[in-house]
Amino acid sequence: MSALERSDESPQVDALAAPVGPAEKEAPSPFVLDVHDFSVDYGVGTQMVTAVRDVNFSLQRSKVLGVAGESGSGKSTLVYAITRLLRAPGVIRSGSAILRVALPDGHGVEEFDLVQADERTLRRVRWSHVSVVLQSALNALNPVLRIRREFDEVLKTHRASMTKTQRRERSVELLRMVGLSEDRLDRFPHELSGGQRQRVMIALALALDPDLVIMDEPTTALDVVTQREIINELNDLRSRFGFAMIFITHDLSLLVELADDIVVMYAGAIVERASALELYDAPRHPYTLGLLNSFPPLHGARQELTGIPGSPPDLAQLPAGCSFSTRCPFVMERCRRESPTLISLDDDHRQVACWLHEPGASATVPVELSQRRRAATSDSDLATAESK
Amino acid sequence: MSDVATSPALLSARSLSRDFTTRAAGRFWNAKRVTHAVEDVSLDLYQGRVTAIVGESGSGKSVLARMLARIVTPTSGQLVFDGTTIEPHHKRGLDYAAQVQLVLQDPFASINPIHPIRHCLERPLLIHGATKDDVAALAGAALTRVALDPPERFLDRYPHELSGGQLQRVSIARALCVRPKVLLADEPISMLDVSVRLGILNLLKGLCVSEQLAILYITHDIASARYLADEVIVMYAGQIVERSFGTSLVDEPAHPYTQLLVASVPDPEALDEARVVGQHEKLEVATVGCRFAPRCPHAMEVCRTTSPPNVELAPGHVSRCWLHTREAHASLRVNARRVDEGGDI
Amino acid sequence: MRALRLPRSPKVLLGLCILAFFIVMTVIGPWLAPYNPSSTAFAALLTPSSHHWLGTTSLGQDIFSQLLVGARATMVVALVAGLVATLLSMTIGIAAGYLGGATDDGLSLLSNVFLAIPGLPLLIVIDSYLPVSSRSNEFVIGLIISLTGWAWGARVLRAQTMSLRNRDFVEAARIIGESRTRIMFSEIAPNLLPVLASSLLFTVLYAIGAYVTLAYIGLTSTAVWNWGTMLYWAQANNAPLSNEWYWFVPPGICIALVGTGLALVNFGIDEFINPRLRAGGISARQRRELGLPRRPRLGLTPVLRPRPNRSLASAKLVTK
Repeated sequence: MSALERSDESPQVDALAAPVGPAEKEAPSPFVLDVHDFSVDYGVGTQMVTAVRDVNFSLQRSKVLGVAGESGSGKSTLVYAITRLLRAPGVIRSGSAILRVALPDGHGVEEFDLVQADERTLRRVRWSHVSVVLQSALNALNPVLRIRREFDEVLKTHRASMTKTQRRERSVELLRMVGLSEDRLDRFPHELSGGQRQRVMIALALALDPDLVIMDEPTTALDVVTQREIINELNDLRSRFGFAMIFITHDLSLLVELADDIVVMYAGAIVERASALELYDAPRHPYTLGLLNSFPPLHGARQELTGIPGSPPDLAQLPAGCSFSTRCPFVMERCRRESPTLISLDDDHRQVACWLHEPGASATVPVELSQRRRAATSDSDLATAESK
Repeated sequence: MSDVATSPALLSARSLSRDFTTRAAGRFWNAKRVTHAVEDVSLDLYQGRVTAIVGESGSGKSVLARMLARIVTPTSGQLVFDGTTIEPHHKRGLDYAAQVQLVLQDPFASINPIHPIRHCLERPLLIHGATKDDVAALAGAALTRVALDPPERFLDRYPHELSGGQLQRVSIARALCVRPKVLLADEPISMLDVSVRLGILNLLKGLCVSEQLAILYITHDIASARYLADEVIVMYAGQIVERSFGTSLVDEPAHPYTQLLVASVPDPEALDEARVVGQHEKLEVATVGCRFAPRCPHAMEVCRTTSPPNVELAPGHVSRCWLHTREAHASLRVNARRVDEGGDI
Repeated sequence: MRALRLPRSPKVLLGLCILAFFIVMTVIGPWLAPYNPSSTAFAALLTPSSHHWLGTTSLGQDIFSQLLVGARATMVVALVAGLVATLLSMTIGIAAGYLGGATDDGLSLLSNVFLAIPGLPLLIVIDSYLPVSSRSNEFVIGLIISLTGWAWGARVLRAQTMSLRNRDFVEAARIIGESRTRIMFSEIAPNLLPVLASSLLFTVLYAIGAYVTLAYIGLTSTAVWNWGTMLYWAQANNAPLSNEWYWFVPPGICIALVGTGLALVNFGIDEFINPRLRAGGISARQRRELGLPRRPRLGLTPVLRPRPNRSLASAKLVTK
């Protein structure tokens, strides 16, 4: 649980790619969001459960950060707490979340610490600078209001100067952006399909040109075809408007496609952070490897995959030492005693919390944890491809 | 797949259909509207084989499973179980319940939260003739079969104390404890955490081999169907559009819908390939002609008027599409193969 | 069943204490009574004293003894009526909700009819047809009151059952071949326990009210002592106008207290029956210690800011 030694060298660690697009102007910091030593509890006292432990990450302008994890990993808790939307009994125990938004004139940047912010500041920041798209659009949209009213409310609240005609024009423009026709404005939520509702949510989230959009499993409830369409559209919108995005999902292969960087969470802590392709090609943490191997591939010979043994963690009863030690195939003596911290690896700008990668550790890194793809290919030669 | 012809099917559906009548609210009176949830579906389940049905929500796959379990009555069509033909009006007896079992999608909802795990295993045993003395041992044995070991650790706990993966195993144990011959699994992994999904799939595969179960695996995840199943069937809007054995359906999809489905799956291996660009959800499902025609990038005049025929492209590989017919073959087959380049339609 | 815990809420504890007090009074009251409540051996209209704690009536009967003896009839009628009405509403409500179709239509019609007929007049009509011997029988009276009190509970249970009917665990029970009766009463009914318990409390409350009213207007046998007959006699002898408060106030307070107790317990039913609902509360004291706002606000996740002179650890110790 010790503080992580990231803060001093964070620009280095996170400089995975040079900033692009709007941020290239003389912005002092390329990061739109800086989260530092962030911890979240549910409840206090003896009933307390820590859902997020000492999380650090930063997000560059116009980049996509993927947050992957299963139930109980704290991925949703983390982003809801950052935006201060987490409901009782959630409590932020410590940390800061600095949001940097470009000033309207394009010169300079305004900083907010969302953790310290009062209600007024939060109201100003939300939607205008940070917007959130939830998993269930059906619950987020008011069932008795036409879609038009949803847009109207947002624009009225945050852009008081707009006239009725301007609001109408903006709503139509927004709907077009997400590929819906104008006539949807007069529909009720239940008259739209799941995919269309989710598009409406995305249009609403983009209504005020935010700097950061947070997506909490926006496609999990949708069919693959619809999911594909929405992902394509998000990519398109992002290249046009240059907002940064935090995308939360349990589907790691979707993240590999979509995200620039991926953070893998387990039991409330970040266990690995890397660029998407590096993570896919060579995961460093055994949990990441297990997750990647949990998706049956679409190609190649059929071979038996094993997934990860055991059950996802119960936050109230985490094992001593590394939380993953009870399910880890490479577990060592040390893992059961001491909890590993997130360390930067030498070979590239990635981080992992695993004793296997401790500098000077006696343990040898298993081959799967350095080159998954190569290991997998050689395995498949030996694999008993099912003849049936 | 060569043994298909030699061993007879254990459970077959013959032209099963199911309509639902809904009342569409009208201004003055309520008009009745009939939706065809499942239309003319035939399939065979064999001992020791996994058959997968892939489809999106609303494709009728769950209704089909419930008709096979006979808790939903078909509008028309027959079931043939072990050589006996069952008409829709026949009443489901206890013996059928013991032979054909259904595992539901959501383990958190399908196990009564008020009773301990023991209850949901002992009830089916008692209903199907076990004596009070044997029940405890049999319930324990059922848990061991789904790798919940030791069973004493689970029997007296309540559902909210177990994880999703464990509950789904309990759910499978409940289905298996009466020794059925057919196991229908309706999206058994979609509500579970990613890391435990493979465990359930491997469990099903193992049971299929070791106990010679006939398994119907229903899913929306075509990759898991490819991983698990011996035969893969794709449904769209209540109809079977394509079926094939082994991995060939996913590796060489022939029907435009299957192609769209395969191309839509997140696949890091195919990052460089051009992707299908969405058509903004043409939602309507056609009522005449091919159901998929309104969304199909290759739709022809004939597709909108006449229902397409089933065409056998290779032994066992059947696709229901006009593109495969001799008339369309020459000009369009090539086109169909390259659906993912048809981006800007 | 899961182990039941003592509820934490002081409201519920108070309610339970009140009810426990009156149940004890029901059981041992008649033995505790110092005199025969019907005996007219004393002077009339004595004010409360050490001999007659609550004074005497105009006939010279001891009021305290009447109160103690009367508790039994009142509570027995209330319990019988509450239990029978809850049983009726459970059977009818769950059957209507689960079976649906024509059964539902018929049973719903029945409960709607009973809901529409005003309870008290119906009660009076039925009661006036009873042979006088039955009017002194608590069980008969209880049954009759239950007849007019089940319909509301049945409506609620029907609605709840309909929301459970399509739940997966009910479908799973059908798949394994469970019978309809078992599905209704072994799978669905236990999930309705909070509703059932709450319905029981309210019918008990209703039954007390109904019984006291019947007695007060003189429709039950005046030979049986209950709180209603006490009020009847007090009214008949103009006690309220003659400032003989000790005659009519004690039974009134008892009725009000039982009602309060039932209502208080109802607050805690969910918490009491479903242990999963307990978690998550942060007490007001903990909030102060940790610098949290007094009430949770939507869209403003609190941040821990412990008071400088108290460490978080000591704040934790405060909680039990």
